Amino acid sequence: MTRQRDTAPKFLNLFEIRFPVGAIASIGHRISGVLLILALPLAAQALERSLHSEAEFRALLAMRASPWASIATAVVAWAIAHHLLAGIRHLLMDLGVGHRLAAARASAWFVNVAALAVAIAILAAGLWSGGAR
Amino acid sequence: MKLRIYRFDPDTDSRPRMQDFDVQPGPTDRMLLDLLMRVRQVDDSVSFRRSCREGVCGSDAMNINGRNGLACIQPLASLKEPVVLRPLPGFPVVRDLIVDMTQFFKQYHSIKPYLVNNDPAPERERLQTPEDREELNGLYECILCACCSTSCPSYWWNSDRYLGPAILLQAYRWLADSRDEMTGERLDQLFITTSREGLNADEDPLAGSLFRASPGVVGLPVREFAG
Amino acid sequence: MRVFSGQRAWLLQRVSVLLVLVLLAVGGLRLLFWPAPSYEDWRSFASSAHGAVLIVLFFGAVALHAWVGARDVVLDYLQHRAVRFAVLLLVATMLVAVTLRVLFVLGGQIA
Repeated sequence: MTRQRDTAPKFLNLFEIRFPVGAIASIGHRISGVLLILALPLAAQALERSLHSEAEFRALLAMRASPWASIATAVVAWAIAHHLLAGIRHLLMDLGVGHRLAAARASAWFVNVAALAVAIAILAAGLWSGGAR
Repeated sequence: MKLRIYRFDPDTDSRPRMQDFDVQPGPTDRMLLDLLMRVRQVDDSVSFRRSCREGVCGSDAMNINGRNGLACIQPLASLKEPVVLRPLPGFPVVRDLIVDMTQFFKQYHSIKPYLVNNDPAPERERLQTPEDREELNGLYECILCACCSTSCPSYWWNSDRYLGPAILLQAYRWLADSRDEMTGERLDQLFITTSREGLNADEDPLAGSLFRASPGVVGLPVREFAG
Repeated sequence: MRVFSGQRAWLLQRVSVLLVLVLLAVGGLRLLFWPAPSYEDWRSFASSAHGAVLIVLFFGAVALHAWVGARDVVLDYLQHRAVRFAVLLLVATMLVAVTLRVLFVLGGQIA
């Protein structure tokens, strides 16, 4: 049996495995975290620009007209929302709140849906204000 | 009923494949295992482990329509067709739905799953209050089928260092047992084997552990870690 | 706790995020219950000592929190020691650079 251990296949096709709702919340927490790390230099740059001149300050606050900017903003908004909500869920569980299965599943659902809702709302706002221009 | 079963013969196949079956359940067949036995009447090369047929031995754990479960207590009525059967994720496949559980059981042995109490043996049993015994509820029932651990992504990527839910649960089962007297040592050993920061015993304990996390960890007692 | 223990990392992750949450809450309340800041409001806040400190604290806490998170991801997915070291060095450099940039930008405002 063990002679072929090194070459033995493993079943690990992620598309064929059904993931529980908590797993989605968890990988979303990780992906959003990595995205935010990558966005951190941009945040520092935005800080600098927002203080540099009034025009730049206004430009940053307004959603820029291009659809790409709206999408990028929505993605960052999703990342902040999901990471924040999933993180708070983690902290509450550290304190023993909502760690039992039913509550954990419910809170995971909430995190997943709420973060997406925030992203969609910001995308809609961005595209709508862009279209109105 | 239609099934799609993962097939792999190490002697003849270079790669696994999926094979379709259409099998009539018998009049008294209720569970997936019953159907699998009928599949073997059509093609007896289809291989899977099974024993108790009542959900207490854990032999027939497998991935059923994407979710891990026990074939013998999976009602046929609950299954969407085609029923897709694959081996437990992440373990080397021995043949068809049979996986190599060696790592899993090695990890089980590593947590010393037995009572350690060197007090002289009492005449009958070592006593335990009903409250103390209740602490073991939800822990002792585990049949070590590995469905949970093999659905954990952290276990897939790092099973050489991460014990996984089943074994961690059993580790706690022995920590929680009031009759056991090795609790301190169990905790020490667990800290070392569950932390990412495992050290070799002869390495400088004050040096950064960042680059030393490695399989087969042996380390220092937790007091030196905490100091 | 040893200097580089997992326990210390876990604690740092939690403590830094509490600071971030408090600062976010303060900022959020300001934006919700007071009129939207004008450019001058924003500039005077960032130029004031307390404002600059709050902003630096925010970025510093985020950087520390990001460090622990990045380390977790690297330890999970990268096994080779040299690769781990290289990636972590890259991340650490970026985080330090970002924090320093924020310091200089705000320092320039106060000056």
